[in-house]
Amino acid sequence: MTMMTDTAPGAPRGNHFAMHLVVALVLLAIGGGYVLYELFTFGKVQFNTTNAGIFWGFAIVVYDYFLLTSTGLVMVASLYYVFGLEEFRSVARRCLWLAFAAIIGGVAVLFLELGNPFVAIWATPLNLQTASPLFWKVLLVAAYSALLALVLLGKINTREDKGSVLMIPMTALAFIVTLVAGSVYGMMAMRPMWFGGDVPVVFLIESFMGALAFTVFFSHLKNGFNHGNMRPETRLLFEGTLARMFAISIGLHFILHAGRAVTGLWSNAEGMQVWQYLVANPLFHFAMWGCIALPFVLMVLKSTRSNGMIQILAAFLVMVGLLISRYEFIIGGQQVPLFKGTWAPELLHYSPSVGEWALLVLAVGLANSVYAFAAWQLGAEDRA
Amino acid sequence: MAKWGMVIDLETCTGCQACTTACAMENNRLPGENWQDVLFYSEGEYPHLNLSWLPRPCMQCENPSCVSVCPTKATYVDEGTGVVLVDWNKCIGCKYCMVACPYGVRFYMDEAPVVQPDVKATYPGDGKRTWNPPFKMPDEYEDASKGIGIQPKGVVSKCTFCYHKISQAPEGVADLDEDNPETKEFTPACVRVCAPKSRFFGDLDNPDSYVNQLIADKGGVRLKEETGNKPKVYYLSGGGSPVVPGNRSRRS
Amino acid sequence: MDEINTNVSRRRFLQATGVTGAATAAAVVGIPGTGMEATSAEAQTARAKPNTVITKNICHQCPARCGIDVYTTDGRVHAIYGTADHPISNGKLCPKGPLGTYVLYDPDRWRGPMKRTNPSKGRDEDPGFVPISWDEALDTVAGRLNNLRDAGESHRFALLYGRGWGASCAGLHGAFGQLYGSPNVAIGHSSMCSDGSIISKKMVEGNAAYNSYDYNNTNYILMFGVGFLEAFRPYNNNMQVWGHIRGRKTPKTRVTAVDVHMNTTLAASDRALLIKPGRDGALALAIAHVILAEGLWEKSFVGDFDDGVNRFVPGQDVPVAATAQPVPNSTSVDQEANLPQEPSLDSPEGGTVVPLDALVYDDEPADGPVPNVATGRFNERWVHGLVEWWNIELKDRSPEWAAELTDIPAETIRTVAREFGTTRPAMAIYERGAHAHSNGIYNGMAIHSLNALVGAFYAKGGMMGQMGPSYGPMPADANDYMDDWAQNGNWKDFPRIDKKGHEDGYLMANNMMQDVGPNHLAGDPYKLDTMMFYLTNPIWTAPNGQVWEEALKDVFIIDTSPFPSETGHYADLILPDHTYLERLQDSPTYPFQGFPMTQLRVPAIEPIHDTKYYGDVLIEIGKRINGPMGEYYRELGDTENVLRHLAEGFRADPGDNGVNDFESWKEKGVWYKRRYIYRQIGGTFYKWDGTDYSIEMTPEEVKQIVFPTPSGKFEFRSGLMEQNSDWIAEKTGRDPANLMFPIWEEPVHHGGGDLHLVTPKVALHAEGRGHNIPMVIAHLQPTIGGRGQAFCEIHPDTARARNISDGDRIKITSDVGSVEVTARYFQGVRPDTIVLPMEYGHWAAGRWSKAVPTEHAGEATVNVSDRITGQANYYSSKVNVTKA
Repeated sequence: MTMMTDTAPGAPRGNHFAMHLVVALVLLAIGGGYVLYELFTFGKVQFNTTNAGIFWGFAIVVYDYFLLTSTGLVMVASLYYVFGLEEFRSVARRCLWLAFAAIIGGVAVLFLELGNPFVAIWATPLNLQTASPLFWKVLLVAAYSALLALVLLGKINTREDKGSVLMIPMTALAFIVTLVAGSVYGMMAMRPMWFGGDVPVVFLIESFMGALAFTVFFSHLKNGFNHGNMRPETRLLFEGTLARMFAISIGLHFILHAGRAVTGLWSNAEGMQVWQYLVANPLFHFAMWGCIALPFVLMVLKSTRSNGMIQILAAFLVMVGLLISRYEFIIGGQQVPLFKGTWAPELLHYSPSVGEWALLVLAVGLANSVYAFAAWQLGAEDRA
Repeated sequence: MAKWGMVIDLETCTGCQACTTACAMENNRLPGENWQDVLFYSEGEYPHLNLSWLPRPCMQCENPSCVSVCPTKATYVDEGTGVVLVDWNKCIGCKYCMVACPYGVRFYMDEAPVVQPDVKATYPGDGKRTWNPPFKMPDEYEDASKGIGIQPKGVVSKCTFCYHKISQAPEGVADLDEDNPETKEFTPACVRVCAPKSRFFGDLDNPDSYVNQLIADKGGVRLKEETGNKPKVYYLSGGGSPVVPGNRSRRS
Repeated sequence: MDEINTNVSRRRFLQATGVTGAATAAAVVGIPGTGMEATSAEAQTARAKPNTVITKNICHQCPARCGIDVYTTDGRVHAIYGTADHPISNGKLCPKGPLGTYVLYDPDRWRGPMKRTNPSKGRDEDPGFVPISWDEALDTVAGRLNNLRDAGESHRFALLYGRGWGASCAGLHGAFGQLYGSPNVAIGHSSMCSDGSIISKKMVEGNAAYNSYDYNNTNYILMFGVGFLEAFRPYNNNMQVWGHIRGRKTPKTRVTAVDVHMNTTLAASDRALLIKPGRDGALALAIAHVILAEGLWEKSFVGDFDDGVNRFVPGQDVPVAATAQPVPNSTSVDQEANLPQEPSLDSPEGGTVVPLDALVYDDEPADGPVPNVATGRFNERWVHGLVEWWNIELKDRSPEWAAELTDIPAETIRTVAREFGTTRPAMAIYERGAHAHSNGIYNGMAIHSLNALVGAFYAKGGMMGQMGPSYGPMPADANDYMDDWAQNGNWKDFPRIDKKGHEDGYLMANNMMQDVGPNHLAGDPYKLDTMMFYLTNPIWTAPNGQVWEEALKDVFIIDTSPFPSETGHYADLILPDHTYLERLQDSPTYPFQGFPMTQLRVPAIEPIHDTKYYGDVLIEIGKRINGPMGEYYRELGDTENVLRHLAEGFRADPGDNGVNDFESWKEKGVWYKRRYIYRQIGGTFYKWDGTDYSIEMTPEEVKQIVFPTPSGKFEFRSGLMEQNSDWIAEKTGRDPANLMFPIWEEPVHHGGGDLHLVTPKVALHAEGRGHNIPMVIAHLQPTIGGRGQAFCEIHPDTARARNISDGDRIKITSDVGSVEVTARYFQGVRPDTIVLPMEYGHWAAGRWSKAVPTEHAGEATVNVSDRITGQANYYSSKVNVTKA
């Protein structure tokens, strides 16, 4: 990546977008090729989900991660487009395209995970099961994606940076989708690990925090990870407002995350035992301290937050930490099997299969392909 | 219109699993993917170990969380019988119902076989079916819109209370009792096979049904009342009115 | 149609079918006219109904013989349910019953007769089977048999069989052996099954048989190692009984269960006692001690001191004056020397049946105890040798003494004894857990003696004998077809290959199949030439079967199983049988509730492969034997002809369900007469007079039917043991002074290890095939989660001391072999014992069983047998356990 060329302000679209696209396509080919090979040869048997209790595996983790990243990025973009925070203008368009890329990557994974994804397309809207959070999630994600696509259609190869009216419902949808995504878990009263009215709020904060991390990371990526290449206003944003917002959201995330863990450890409710297991796992502490506490400190201290490499590091840590947290949350909520007796252990163990890892590679590859192609051919990185 | 329910008497249940295997054979289940399972638990130490078991069919809740979460209404409550069914034509395999079922009684098709080598490979499908055991139920019983038959790829299945049997019962009968020659063939497999006669099946809406009498006389309880799912499966454990688990929040 | 009228018509329908449904059992479901269709407008417009046919059969997966309804639609068998009108199944099934279709459609079944092309035999040798015609197969067998006979070596043909069913299969063996001339036709598997209970009962009760039981009326059951809710036959009916006596009967029957590990039986009982293996007899003796010391015995059956003063004082002899009169002159011990009468069931487990015509209706009164002047003498009613037993053995067998041996606290033993002694009716039952040990004969006698002390014999809520069915005569009498060789050939000079009934072997045993392999290997008493197997697979099932793997390399082997097996892997000829759903086969009941019953398997579908019913294979071979023997079998024709002749007996004696000929037998699947005709009430034996038990039986009748012992009573002092005391003393070193009593004898454990290896049968063990049924593999061991394999239950302390973690692979090693399995921590198993269900470890029996990673406990089990009962001591081995 360090070979990327300078794309200082005003410079024409660089070759490095093409390069980025090539790398992304390679990832897509590797991940997608492997997954499709497995699915066509063996079927979903290759995934490590089981009827013993782990129904939603890594694929759902990846899907939700990409979905929430997408909605968060729209929220960040809306700071400029809807809420008029001029400072965010330099990253707003990038965020929108990244949001689109993320939703494509996420939905692709979901389609490969679902048993009958194409049935979902007609059966969901036609049956109006309004009691189901997933019904709303499907509809809202569809509407959100459509609006996002529509908005971006208007931005192809223009340098126009004004917000359109569509931005307002789109932003509203981003918020609602995020909240509904939280409700999918938060409404599950039979699973205390997930249950709670705070979950949608947690999702909202995490979504926004993640999006800031992605904004930082991809802005640096666009500049070849060279702080010096960055536009002054972007640099200012990253050292100032955005860093503060980032720090605040990380701080909130820390409080909510630690709060859930402490509550979980204390609680006797069936299903909460999983917190003992989670907290005993080094991965939890890596995410908690390495991926939340450390970036928080790095973003709070002026000396560190103004350092480009440290911004990249903090963003990267938050991106990884969020994936771990999402994984612990979704899998952990299922690890204590409901009513399984001696056939199932007291705690189910799960780790993603190669095929499920490949889904992540696929999603990363696909999302980056979309973004890189957009940057290369559709003017995603062109600005007025 | 009956509201079919089941009573399971734990005082006489011997933990033999005949309900499990009879159900599995009647409904073409894959080995170990039990719509009706018997769960075993043990606690305590030698020489006084408490070994216990619980037969667990689908609770056929009146207020089923699986139905509420299904984004396509593939899971629904059948009006005539009160049975919770899955329409395999509509099921998208999102497994949200499995996540939301407090009793763990739903099964996705595309999982690794419990017993190797895979029976699906031994009795391979014929294009129409995912597998084709020679002992499968008669074609006439199969009904994908109710989740009866050979489970297709990518969908979730569950206990149907042997819908293909009970739905044929003459209307108005209070109980489907395997010992009554008139109702034998309409009795769910798990009830019919039960050697100690620990299972009873009848109409909860009929005040004269034997299941209602048992629930009243022996203090029937439902599992996990706190979820508010209102199961239609009641358990007896030998007692009269004072009974052990969750009698709280029996809201109507 | 308007809804209200529809409802009315539905009710009318119900009323109508209430009458017709009871009168006729619909043989066809869902076609017009059977009442199962068109019950409503919805049903009329509903989907088409399958054209389902129900045939009657009986399950083959355990000995219980449950009547089953087999549902067949469009040539596919798709469901099996219990037959409603069947006294054993009563419409219910055990977990194995519904799985029968997996047996029928087992993809590993033999497709037709085959011969071996690879002369080398061994576990790793491919037999190289090639298909042949049935004619070639049968001619090959007959040719060998004729040659042997011509060479004067007919004794070198042996026929080994396991689960015989009835007159049309194993029932043909007796005549075949007689006519052909071999002492080894046929050798049953009963010594590898449960002869320990049959023979120990015979020693005290006289009848060499399992008992039938009146569980439904009993108020207390004391169980010793029976697995009542796992394996004890008839399992399905036992569970029906359980539902009644534990849920619906008043008063609720109390149950104490004794075993070495926690299982469903113990868990469902009121009290679980985890006993040290092989010590059940000590517990029984202590219970007897308490019953006598506290005066709790049933006086009307046992008798009493004539002055009513209890002189059974712990630690003290009862004064000599109290001992009973001397032993009456013993009669012949060999009650069963008479050849099995055709067509009576040559019961595979030695269960003799009392023929109905053994009844003599007369009204001679029985002798009661003679009231005497009060001298302190013990007047014995229906028992013999009680005071002597006390003086010689029981007086010191206190609960404290037994507590040391059994690990069961003395106070618990006392409580159990008082419960058992004060609750009537009560019964004590036992099986292999108690008697598959070196001291099994005495454990069995001691436990069975408890039944005498509480007067359980033939009492309501007690135990009795099993009556046989009213079969008609066979198409021909084998005695008319005996040639000179059959009558006088020198084959009669040879002992059986297993030395059953021989002084050098097992004089008092019924069978010794477990020694056939080792004896042949040693050429002692001789070498066999040809062996045929029916429903038995001893290469795998025999203890230390590795010896058989070596032994059977030089014998011509014919296997008749429908399935591949280890014995089949050694076969030179495969003559595959039908599976049970394809057979026409009779089967009189096992000891059940005493009343006579016999059942019929009716084929549900045409055989799906080129197979032949074993009974017909035997008849076809017989037809090809030179001389009058061939004539006899031509006279029999085939098994259907045999069954038609047997069914003629029903004409004069129709069953309760109206079965009076072959056709009605086929339709109903069972002939039975519910009334059991003997009953002991308050110490007097009665016969049924048609309305009541009112005809008192004479002591002679009691001796003939109830207690065929030398004294005609239940013998604590066993006359049968006493008659053989010289032989017993010589072969076992036991003391002739007390060896005839139920005494305590320390069990001897072979194998050289420090942990008892116990290998029980589990509920899902479908005989001969469970290991290859995926549905069984998924559910085999629910108590500890054994799915896909069988775990070895090991106490956590025992495991940790050997550095074994939960789920580790472990090695179980004895002097004879070593096997590898997966360990599972279990607090329900004794720390000095490991428990591994006998199920897996098959290496040539099918795709699923081969894939199971559990090896076979039998390969670490030492082949030692009880010298008296012949029982293979499956549970007496001690093994070392290490991390694999």
